[in-house]
Amino acid sequence: MAEFLQALAQGLLIGSTYGLLALGMGLVYGVSGVVNFSHGDFISLGMFLCLALYSAFALDPYISLVITVPLMTVIGGLVYWYLLRPMVGHQFLMVVQLTLGLSLVLQNGILMVFGGQPARTPSVVESKLLILGDVVVRVPHVIAFVVSFAMAIGLYIMLRSTDFGRSIRAVHQNAHSAALMGIDVSRVQTLTFALGIGILAIAAALLLPGTPIQPAQGLRYTVITLIVVALGGMTNFVGIMLGGLIIGLSEAYGTIYLSDTLGMLLPYGIFVLIMLFRPQGLTWSSSR
Amino acid sequence: MLEVDHLVTGYGGVPVLHDVSLTLNAGEIVGLLGANNAGKTTLINSLSGMYAPMSGRIRFEGHDVTAMTPKQRVEIGIIQVPEGRLVFPDMSVRENLLLGGINARARAHRPRTMDHVLELFPRLKERLGQNAGTLSGGEQQMLAIGRALMAEAKLLMLDEPSLGLSPLFVQYIFGIIDRLHAEGLSILLIEQNLNLTLRHAQRCYVLERGKVAIEGASDVVKDDPRTRRAYLGL
Ligand SMILES: Nc1ncnc2c1ncn2[C@@H]1O[C@H](COP(=O)(O)OP(=O)(O)O)[C@@H](O)[C@H]1O
Ligand SMILES: [Mg+2]
Repeated sequence: MAEFLQALAQGLLIGSTYGLLALGMGLVYGVSGVVNFSHGDFISLGMFLCLALYSAFALDPYISLVITVPLMTVIGGLVYWYLLRPMVGHQFLMVVQLTLGLSLVLQNGILMVFGGQPARTPSVVESKLLILGDVVVRVPHVIAFVVSFAMAIGLYIMLRSTDFGRSIRAVHQNAHSAALMGIDVSRVQTLTFALGIGILAIAAALLLPGTPIQPAQGLRYTVITLIVVALGGMTNFVGIMLGGLIIGLSEAYGTIYLSDTLGMLLPYGIFVLIMLFRPQGLTWSSSR
Repeated sequence: MLEVDHLVTGYGGVPVLHDVSLTLNAGEIVGLLGANNAGKTTLINSLSGMYAPMSGRIRFEGHDVTAMTPKQRVEIGIIQVPEGRLVFPDMSVRENLLLGGINARARAHRPRTMDHVLELFPRLKERLGQNAGTLSGGEQQMLAIGRALMAEAKLLMLDEPSLGLSPLFVQYIFGIIDRLHAEGLSILLIEQNLNLTLRHAQRCYVLERGKVAIEGASDVVKDDPRTRRAYLGL
C-alpha cells in the first residue's frame, strides 16, 4: 500500500510537469500548426544551460532560471522568425524536417560542448524530503508540481483575459479573420513559439534536480510530450494536464512494479491502449 | 476618400482582377455588384491588404496605402466585415467585440464603443457571454458588424452581408447599414443581391470577370440593360 501511494504521489508530481511541457507544444501547434520535433532537445538545452551556469558560477538551477528563461525565449523567437516562419502555412513537411534537423543540431551541439557522459546539476533542495505518513516525496518534485500547475493556471488566465491571450486564441480559431482585426498573425505565432520555448526552460529546471542528463535524452522528452498532447488534444488545457498526469503515473507505477526499463515503457503501452479504445483522446470538452 | 487605380490582383501570378479602378467619397454608400466568382472578395481583401497587388495603387484619405500591411490598414480605419462573417466561434460575444477593437487606435476606447455597439444591437447584449459559434446566422452578422464598429471604422467594407440570412434579418441588417450611413460612416457594400443594393447605395460598380463593366449612380446602373446581363454572368 505504501508503495502504491508512493508511486501515486511521484507520478502526479512529475506528471504535472509533463503536462506543462505539452501545453507549450499545444499552444504552438494551435496558432501555427507547427509540430515541433525539437521540443525535447530544447528541454535538453535548458538543462545543459543550467549545468553550464552551475559549473561556471555555482548557480542553483532554480536561480539559473533568471538567465535561461529570457535566453531561451529569445532563441525560440529567433528560430521561429528566421527558420520556421518562411515555411509555415505552405510546406508542412518542410516544417517537420526543419524541426527534426534542429533536433539533431541541438543534440550534437550539446554533445560537442558537454561530451557524452551523463552529468548532474546539484541543487540545494535536491536531497530534501517531505514525509507525509507512509509517503516520502522529494522536495524538487513538490516544487515541480506547484510551479507547473501555477504556470498552467497562469497561462489559462492569460489566454482568457489579456489581449495577447485573446489574439492567440483568435489566430488559432481563424487566422484570416484575426488578420482582419489588425492582429499581426506572424508576430503572434513568433511570440507564442518564444513563449513555448521559454516554458521549456522552466520545465527543464523543474525536472533537473536529481536527474542525470545526457545529450541524447531529447527524443524521450519529445515523445512523452507528443503522447501527452495526443491524449489530451492539441489545444485542450484540461485534457493536456490530465494527459500529463496519466503519463507521469504510468511511468511511476511502471518503475515501481516492473523493472526500470520495462517501467519506462509502460507510458507507451498505456498510450497505445487508450488510443485503441478512445482514438479521439481523453478530451471531453474543448477549451480553446 | 478611397481611390483604387488600375488594380491588378491575382493568386499565384494569375490575375483575377484586371485593371480595376473605383472611387468612394466620404459619407457615401457605394455598391459593388457582381456574380459569383466575379472577384468581389478578392477586391475587398486587396483593400484590406491581405495580398500584394500585381500592379496598381490604392489611396485612402490622400495617402498611398498600397504597401501597407493589414494591421496598418486597420489602424487607419479601413475595416472589413468578411464574407461568411468569420466570427471566432469558441469565444464569447464579448471577447469577439473586444478583439474587434484590439487595434492601437481603438483599444483605449473599447468600453465606450462597446456601449454604442450594444445599443445598436440589443440582441448581442443579451448574448454577451454566449459563444459566437452558438449564435444564429443573423446574430453572427450583427456580431461581425459590431466587431468592425469596435475597430472604429472610417471606411466600412461589407462582403455579402445578406448571404444566407432570412429576409427578415436581411431587412434588419440593411436598416443598420442605413443608420450607420446616416451617422456619417463611409460604406463599401459588396453584394450579389442586386435590387437591395441598388436601393441602398448611391453609386454602384458592377464587376464582371474581374473587370468593372458598368459604373454610375444607382438609378443609371439599374436601368442599364447590361447590368442584368453582366449580373447573370451571361
Ligand atoms: N485563395 C484563392 N486562391 C486561388 N484562387 C482564388 C482564391 N480565392 C478566389 N480565387 C479565384 O478568384 C476568382 C474570384 O473569386 P472571388 O474574389 O472569391 O469572387 P466573388 O467574391 O466575386 O465570388 C474565382 O475564380 C476564384 O476561384
Ligand atoms: Mg465573395
